[in-house]
Amino acid sequence: MRFKKLTSLALAAILAVAVTACSSSKNEESKNSPPASASPSSGGSGASASASPEGGLDHTKELELTVFSTTANYAGEQTGWYGKILKDKFNIKLNIIASNLDGGQNKIAAMMASGDLGDIVVFGSDKTDYPNAIKGGLLLDWTKDGLLDKYGKYIVDNFPKAIEKAKIAFGGGQAVYGLGHNVAGNQPGPSEGKDLTWGPELRWDLYKQLGYPEIRTPQDYLGVLKKMQELEPKNEQGKKTYAFSLWSDWDGNYKMTLAKQFANMYGYDENGATLLYVAADEDKYYEFLSDDSWYMKSLKLYFDANQMGLVDPDSLTQKFDDVVGKYKDGRLLFSWFPWLGSANYNTPDRTAVGKGFATVPFKEEKVYSWGFNQYGNDWIMAIGAKAKEPERIMEFINWLYTPEGAMLSSGGGTAIQNGPKGLTWDLDKDGKPFVTDFGWQAFADQKGTIVPDEYGGGTFYDGQSQINFSNVAPGLTNPETGEPYDHNLWTSSLKRNPSQLDQEWRDKMGALTPKEYFVKNNMIAVAPQGFTGKPPLMMDKALEQKNAQIGTVIQQYSWKMIFAKDEAQYDKYKQEMMDKVKGLGYDEVLAFSVKKAEELFESRKSVQQ
Amino acid sequence: MSVPADQLAQLGSAAAKPGRRLPNKYKLFLMALPFLAVTFIFYYLPIYGWIYAFYDYIPGIPLEKTPFVGFKWFRTIAENPTQTAEVVRVMKNTVAMSGLGIATSFLPVVFAILLTEIKTGWYRRIVQTLTTIPNFISWILVYSVAFTLFSVDNGLVNTLLLKLGFIDDGINFLANNRNVWLAMIAWYWWKSLGWGAILYLAAITGIDQELYEAAEVDGASRFRKIWHITVPGIMPTFFVLLLLSIGNFVNNGMEQYFAFQNAMNKDTIEVLDLYVYNIAFSNNFAFATVVSMLKSIISVFLLFLANGMSKWVRKESII
Amino acid sequence: MKSRKLRAGDAAFHTINYAFFGLFTLTCIFPFYYLFINTISANDLSTMGYITFYPRGIHFDNYVSVLKIKGLGHAAFVSLYRTVVGTLLTVGASAFLGYLFTKNEMWGRKIMYRAVVVTLYFSAGMIPWYSTMHMLHLTNNYLAYILPTIIAPFNIILVKTFIEAVPPSLEESAALDGAGYLRIFGSIIFPLITPILATITIFSAVNQWNSFIDTAWLMTDKKYYTLQYLLWRYLNESSSLAALIKSAQNLGAVDVRNMQTPTSVRMTVTMIVVFPILLVYPFFQRYFVKGIMIGAVKG
Repeated sequence: MRFKKLTSLALAAILAVAVTACSSSKNEESKNSPPASASPSSGGSGASASASPEGGLDHTKELELTVFSTTANYAGEQTGWYGKILKDKFNIKLNIIASNLDGGQNKIAAMMASGDLGDIVVFGSDKTDYPNAIKGGLLLDWTKDGLLDKYGKYIVDNFPKAIEKAKIAFGGGQAVYGLGHNVAGNQPGPSEGKDLTWGPELRWDLYKQLGYPEIRTPQDYLGVLKKMQELEPKNEQGKKTYAFSLWSDWDGNYKMTLAKQFANMYGYDENGATLLYVAADEDKYYEFLSDDSWYMKSLKLYFDANQMGLVDPDSLTQKFDDVVGKYKDGRLLFSWFPWLGSANYNTPDRTAVGKGFATVPFKEEKVYSWGFNQYGNDWIMAIGAKAKEPERIMEFINWLYTPEGAMLSSGGGTAIQNGPKGLTWDLDKDGKPFVTDFGWQAFADQKGTIVPDEYGGGTFYDGQSQINFSNVAPGLTNPETGEPYDHNLWTSSLKRNPSQLDQEWRDKMGALTPKEYFVKNNMIAVAPQGFTGKPPLMMDKALEQKNAQIGTVIQQYSWKMIFAKDEAQYDKYKQEMMDKVKGLGYDEVLAFSVKKAEELFESRKSVQQ
Repeated sequence: MSVPADQLAQLGSAAAKPGRRLPNKYKLFLMALPFLAVTFIFYYLPIYGWIYAFYDYIPGIPLEKTPFVGFKWFRTIAENPTQTAEVVRVMKNTVAMSGLGIATSFLPVVFAILLTEIKTGWYRRIVQTLTTIPNFISWILVYSVAFTLFSVDNGLVNTLLLKLGFIDDGINFLANNRNVWLAMIAWYWWKSLGWGAILYLAAITGIDQELYEAAEVDGASRFRKIWHITVPGIMPTFFVLLLLSIGNFVNNGMEQYFAFQNAMNKDTIEVLDLYVYNIAFSNNFAFATVVSMLKSIISVFLLFLANGMSKWVRKESII
Repeated sequence: MKSRKLRAGDAAFHTINYAFFGLFTLTCIFPFYYLFINTISANDLSTMGYITFYPRGIHFDNYVSVLKIKGLGHAAFVSLYRTVVGTLLTVGASAFLGYLFTKNEMWGRKIMYRAVVVTLYFSAGMIPWYSTMHMLHLTNNYLAYILPTIIAPFNIILVKTFIEAVPPSLEESAALDGAGYLRIFGSIIFPLITPILATITIFSAVNQWNSFIDTAWLMTDKKYYTLQYLLWRYLNESSSLAALIKSAQNLGAVDVRNMQTPTSVRMTVTMIVVFPILLVYPFFQRYFVKGIMIGAVKG
């Protein structure tokens, strides 16, 4: 009789599906009916009257917004200090869906297939998903019913170029479906913080012991590094030191990730996943597989370094995490990036005695830098087609671009946000911003610092804006203070008690920050960020696939070449690589790459400085 | 939804008071029907998605707005000689790994038989429990353990060999192209032996104890009992699993190979699943559909081929 | 003489056998032990690779931060629910269907059995699967955890194979007594196949307990979240920041002080996942210990 129970169970289950099917379709109907509170009333007596510059929106009803973000690193309700500010000001609550935590591209695809992307949508690129979502009718046109003009005043008045790009590139000339990230005004110079993206950095203490030998070209580092390695062949724990420790788990994107840095330091960068490196400030490019390309020269450089015993033999098999551990452990002497070497090795204990990584550029260096972009960069913030109360959403998005909004969360995504005014930072009597003692503590120990309840409670880390979208460039000057939004760039922050290492470096280099040094010595190539006035060129899927295959071949052979036994084997691998990529359709991809570079050059004309 | 529910309701009452006049063959069929409905809904219905293989499909954009491209994505698999050579290389690895897997599929059988020979109850239970642990450790973590053991600098094995004076320089065990297949199959069995043996332990338990008692009376040795009672007792299970793994010939999965791959061993470690992952990334849904469609067809073909062979050789069809 | 030789051989066999399993078990535990000591050692020492044989700088922060995940208790309850209910249903269904498929007289048996078996090899891809589930309103619905898993072809095959090994005479005699299919299944077959049922119970329970991807795709309401899903998401939080740095165009603004190492999180999560399985598994082992006495059933 057990069977009877089983069938009836199965039956009940299936019936239950049918029942829920009915009931949930009813739910959907009610969801689709227009929200009752959509009519703009001019009550304005709510707690947040001051927040609505147009004065037309009613904030008395709490609005829960679903934010689908492909860049967010947190899922769930926005809590803490940022949550409290949004609640007080707009009476909104954010519920974040983060595709990164839910299976990445597959989650994005599922959301797209479901036809509903939520209320606010953040794309980590304007390349594929964003145009597809527009094509699929999943995004709201901000120009409809004058939404943007009525509730997006600050954007319209201050960032007209970003709107222009949105219309021409993605909106068929009329519609605005979203805006790019790190939007700026027409401001010259590099947009980075106090460090640029590339150094390179050396162990300053060892470099100093050698008497600051001159370094003209990247190859010159090898001799210096060899001597540094002889000075400190083992770390404190008796483990061997190396100059270069490479990792391959970041290679997913087309080529060997660590072989392009010297090209960047010569003012060139890859132009998306194409076969060319393009100069930052001139209309020049080269094939990155050509002999005078710094990609190929870097492979040779690592090969030579390996012959000299400067390359970690575990480079082929280790992961990024392992490399971070080695920097922390003091086993490495060179770093391509400030965020790798100094960020991991330079503990207060070490810098106090002058030990640590610091930028040591080579004479020929002309480091690549991104200029400010009035058109906005390639991350996108958009509104979902089925959004409830688009007026209030638009009003909120507008606020994110205002000085008030930007001071709180600019840089969100990869940098530490400033936090609430009066707690982590404040204005001095001259109206200049400074970070409070509590602020420095919170920035240093974000997860361990508890925010007082009147500011929303929780830890500083959890309370940050979790949308992970930086609406305006953190380096942009705040019109209200005359200083950039990013707290690292405030004069008060830069002058704050330097460690012995900082002091030594500043004395030797004659500059406060690496950025200042590069600018002062004219060793920087700022790439203007423009826009062609046309929809972007895109590879079709078939070419994309060929390109991807070429990329995997290049990756594999790059590594093989570096670890080749001798020159003969090095050359043999190189030849094999060239043959393979040619066979896989190199020329076809190259033709596209050239077109893509020309598109870039054309776009730069729009921002002649 | 309402139609199957109706039918099911009728079935339910049919099952509740078995109609005496209904011939057995239909009665059995009706009993199975609800389950088949479930199978249809959850396994067969989604197959409509194969149609995406013939479109430049993009999720979120309705199919009628999507260009129909026919067999374009099928053709990209062998578009030029270099590409074809790549596919051949990858298939070689796939055949090697699946072949080795099938050739060594007797290992869990041996494991189970030997384990049942352990008569100390607590020891057997401990072994049985603890040997399943590796099954639950993800390949990424297995790799990080492997890295601790085999890295050149400070890897346990190299440190030991250096101290003992067997070698002068660290050996890069993880980054070389020799014996990759054997190493992979060894890791595979280390991870899945204990877990895989559970099925055979169950099969051995299902053997009638009276057979052993009778053999005991006849004075049969341990090995005779194993050979004449245990082995035949678990053969049906073994053959079924063998057949299923032949069907899975082209599905090696990618996690293990992904974790262990590097530039040096890539030529020999890249099996089909990993290759597809490496080249197609995750946003070309049309191509991904082509691959899964072809794999499904090949698998089902192999399954029935193997079944046909079994019928021909052992006079017994398995499915 | 002969018997002593036999005994010596026996002893040798046993020694080797015991030693083999002892060694193999050690190789299985070591990685687990290694991961465990790394989760309770200072995270810095762990990333630098100083923890190999014993823990140093012992702390439990890794576990504490997992326990702090919001909604963990409710999620554990959901996991337990889907594991228990899902497993019961699939084991019941597999046992019954496996039995039905042994009946040669069944109308359309071969076709139907094959139709079930080949689904093992079908994959339509995630999008069509998602759309199907969406269409059936199985998003944000507990039934999504249960219904699709009822039919588990692999289990059905195992049960069918197992039943076929049972001497047909048992069933025939019962059939002569006038028992119907259901009676025979309930009173004769079911008790005989407990070993295989225990096996598929373990398989299904582990599957249910460990699955998270269905939650990620189908559930947006947090009341449907499972333990595994929360852990998986927690793990992704640590690795996606690294991914973000990798893909960010302008790396000047990156702050790595936020970065947890994904490895330590992954190890901690593995511990939390494996422990319950290790606790429950031994309870099922008694079904593997005793052999079956068919005679007893017959009598």
